Amino acid sequence: MIAILRLLVFAFIGLSVFYLLLGAYWRSLRRESLEKQWDAAPPEGQGQTERAAFIAKGMAAYERGLKKKLLWLVYIIPMILIVIIAYVQNYQ
Amino acid sequence: MSSYLVWGLILLFLIGGALFLRYRYPAGSTGRRRMKWAFWAVVILIVGLFLNYTLPSHDVVRITNTYNRLTTVSWENAWAYASPDTGTGEGTQTRDIRFIEAVHDDDSVVVFRNEDTGWVWPPYFKYDSSNLHAEASNLKSDKAAPQWVMVTYYGWRLPILSIYPNAVKVRAVDSADATVLPWVNILILTALALLVLMLRRMWLQFRERTIDPVVEDADEFLEGIDAQADAVRAQARGMAGRFKAWLDTWRAKPKG
Repeated sequence: MIAILRLLVFAFIGLSVFYLLLGAYWRSLRRESLEKQWDAAPPEGQGQTERAAFIAKGMAAYERGLKKKLLWLVYIIPMILIVIIAYVQNYQ
Repeated sequence: MSSYLVWGLILLFLIGGALFLRYRYPAGSTGRRRMKWAFWAVVILIVGLFLNYTLPSHDVVRITNTYNRLTTVSWENAWAYASPDTGTGEGTQTRDIRFIEAVHDDDSVVVFRNEDTGWVWPPYFKYDSSNLHAEASNLKSDKAAPQWVMVTYYGWRLPILSIYPNAVKVRAVDSADATVLPWVNILILTALALLVLMLRRMWLQFRERTIDPVVEDADEFLEGIDAQADAVRAQARGMAGRFKAWLDTWRAKPKG
């Protein structure tokens, strides 16, 4: 029983690292695309303040969006895989 | 305790060696280029061996015997046996291990061990070795009326280390020529390749967005210092140059 707890603890640590890295990566991609979107056609007479506001708004939308929620799959998929593997291995 | 010392010394040796080679073969030299090749060759070799050991393989055999044998596991082959934590023979180095003896169509033999992996590495999560043993015993057959069995296993048979591949699944098949599409391996290798590409892209994004701006700032700062240094150097060169030119006027003029 200790072994499965240890597996879960290590899996949690490893997956958390990946979760954070992937989260940072997706945020970075999103921010970059927002910056490019603004810079491609900056609205007339608007400066750095409006640009920052535009990006902040886009990022807030991202934080509430579907993709952010999909990030939880980083934890869910491996857990499902463990269950499937254990089932196929032992109960067929 | 002493094994930690040995590993520490090995680590020190490796780090020292790497530093020495770095110093010995500066960037851009032929030696450095060769070292890079050698480094990546070793990395690929290690990863390849690791995957070859860990991923499932298939073998069509006829099972001839299944039995337990009291087996002593020692430091040099313990890595190829179940971790004591799996529950089979907890905390002891001499334990009963199940074995499956089998023979191929060409009469070459193979011996599998049949141990739980439990919730420890490698992640087969196998805890039904008793059932597997019963299935394997049930599939025993003799040469006259062979029952061919597809054994899924991982690991290597290395007699010199007394290590055996671990059987994870047995399945009756019709003939000795039965094959199976290794779709688990295909899936795992594809997923690993995608993961590596993903990590590479994540790193590139991090470099582009986080490291490069900092480096650019630092470059600008250094360029500022450089410009001042250049100014001072030019001034110095100016004085030294004038002095050198004056000295040159005392040299013999080349004839002709």
